[in-house]
Amino acid sequence: MTPSHKIALGATAIVALISAYTYLSHRQHRINPEDKTIPNWTQLREGLGKIAEVNHRSGDRWLVTDAQATGTRLFLGLGCGIASALLLGMLMGCLAPVEAFFYPPLALLAKLPPTAMLAVFFVLAGTETKMYVAMIAFGVLPTLAQTVFLAVKDVPDESRYKAYTLGASHIEVIWNVVFRMVLPRLIDSIRLQIGPAMVYLIAAEMVVGDVGFGYRIRLQSKLLNMDVVYPYLAILAVFGFTMDSMLFRLQRLASPWYAKEGK
Amino acid sequence: MMEDRIVLKIENVSHEFNGHPVLHEVNLDIVRGEIVGLVGPSGCGKSTLLRAVLGTHPPRKGEVSVYSSRRNGGGNARRMIVRGPGRDRGIVYQQYSLFPFLTARENVAFGLMLDETSIPGRLFRYFKWRALRKKHLERAEQLLEQVELGHAGLLYPSEMSGGMRQRVAVAQALIMKPEVVLLDEPFGALDEATREDLQRMLLRLYQENLDARKKGEAPPYTILIVTHEISEAIYVGDRVVGLSQYWDWKSEGFQECPGATVVYDRVAPVEEPGGPRHYENYERQRAEIRERVFEPKTAANPKEGRLFWDEVAAGKGQGILQ
Repeated sequence: MTPSHKIALGATAIVALISAYTYLSHRQHRINPEDKTIPNWTQLREGLGKIAEVNHRSGDRWLVTDAQATGTRLFLGLGCGIASALLLGMLMGCLAPVEAFFYPPLALLAKLPPTAMLAVFFVLAGTETKMYVAMIAFGVLPTLAQTVFLAVKDVPDESRYKAYTLGASHIEVIWNVVFRMVLPRLIDSIRLQIGPAMVYLIAAEMVVGDVGFGYRIRLQSKLLNMDVVYPYLAILAVFGFTMDSMLFRLQRLASPWYAKEGK
Repeated sequence: MMEDRIVLKIENVSHEFNGHPVLHEVNLDIVRGEIVGLVGPSGCGKSTLLRAVLGTHPPRKGEVSVYSSRRNGGGNARRMIVRGPGRDRGIVYQQYSLFPFLTARENVAFGLMLDETSIPGRLFRYFKWRALRKKHLERAEQLLEQVELGHAGLLYPSEMSGGMRQRVAVAQALIMKPEVVLLDEPFGALDEATREDLQRMLLRLYQENLDARKKGEAPPYTILIVTHEISEAIYVGDRVVGLSQYWDWKSEGFQECPGATVVYDRVAPVEEPGGPRHYENYERQRAEIRERVFEPKTAANPKEGRLFWDEVAAGKGQGILQ
């Protein structure tokens, strides 16, 4: 299959999705012209207006306040999670006692859904940004730390010995050899963890939030304002997709060798 | 005197794994500029000995020392006892010698970076480091030319053939100008033609040793090559050492084998890199090695096989040993 065929097929699928939606909406509106469950394109444009324009009651734009709140929580949470997972995974991979100490609790924590622990974070960190950050960080930590740990273990002994014969210090072996080999696999794992991180965050916002994507979607769903809900869902999807492709590009840029090994 | 030219000294090295003896009082002195072929039956502890020299797996008993060519005030070579892997001993493994995340020339220049700079230096004096980096890469390119890979500088290891990778690995080790380069079955995974190319590359290095000696300088390359092929050891080396667990340990009062020791140590013919190979001329030496080193029924006194120093004293050594 040539690349142009691939693109054509992919585009066809997207067009088919949009057409099917248009058809469903059209059929529903023939039955009930006032229908809000499957809004037509005019209604969706009005919904977008509600989202993006200054709200007459609260005095700010929903999209801006929600995106700020949700974005801050997500990026801070992911950042803390990635940083601590990297530190923990590297230490566990390099030092046997650290591995023996942290492996059992990590294996247990990995099996615990962070959304189920929401009350714990709520009690410990309140309902502010801190709570969401802690929840996302704890949610992605076990998987990411295990990825880093396993990647460190996969570095052949020969590579480390070789670096020492080339005059490397211990820190240089960790930074210039081990980390370089761990990085692309960490990025792979982060790409896979963005989805779960968003699940944790949206779920938590639905339960305890007073601003943010999860909060808005829950509220507007209750009012059956699907003209607002669908655009929000579309924005989430586009956001997730963008993050994923940016991480992919970052990986190709930072570790060009990784793709050439056929991974 | 030849004794003054020793670069690596292995003294009474014994080793065991979980109570299972592997090496028994191994003694070996290597002269600067030699290429020593180390052969032995599988499981005799060749790699264990190499790791002891490298310092990654220190022996239970005995010690390994390296004599530095950088002389101190008294004119004597400085003696360093091996306590771990260090920049004075290079290594080329059969696999994993190259770092997969670096291109060929970056791999070769890697040692210069690690040895001459530090992480804070590279970070806080970034522009100075950039300038130095350029020089390092140029030196790496030169060395790649020397191993006939001038065109491959920008390839990653996964894009190279096995033979290319081993050439780069040799260049990567040589750029550090180590006192000794250890080769651990370096050509074992290569096809016949590629292996012969790489063997000729080693002989070219040996020619540089001879040239340096003619000019009265210290020969730059000393190589200890572990191989399972007797012919390779004889062809490449000017000396062949056999390590074996088959010797008459019973007459020394042992109930069971105390481990492998050096049972064979003799000079080998020196070949020209461009010349034809005369494997038929090796027949006598090959037969001798096969019987003394590889034959399980042999129960010879190991001392009878260690004739190297007598041969050198009698002027039988060729090349660097003359």
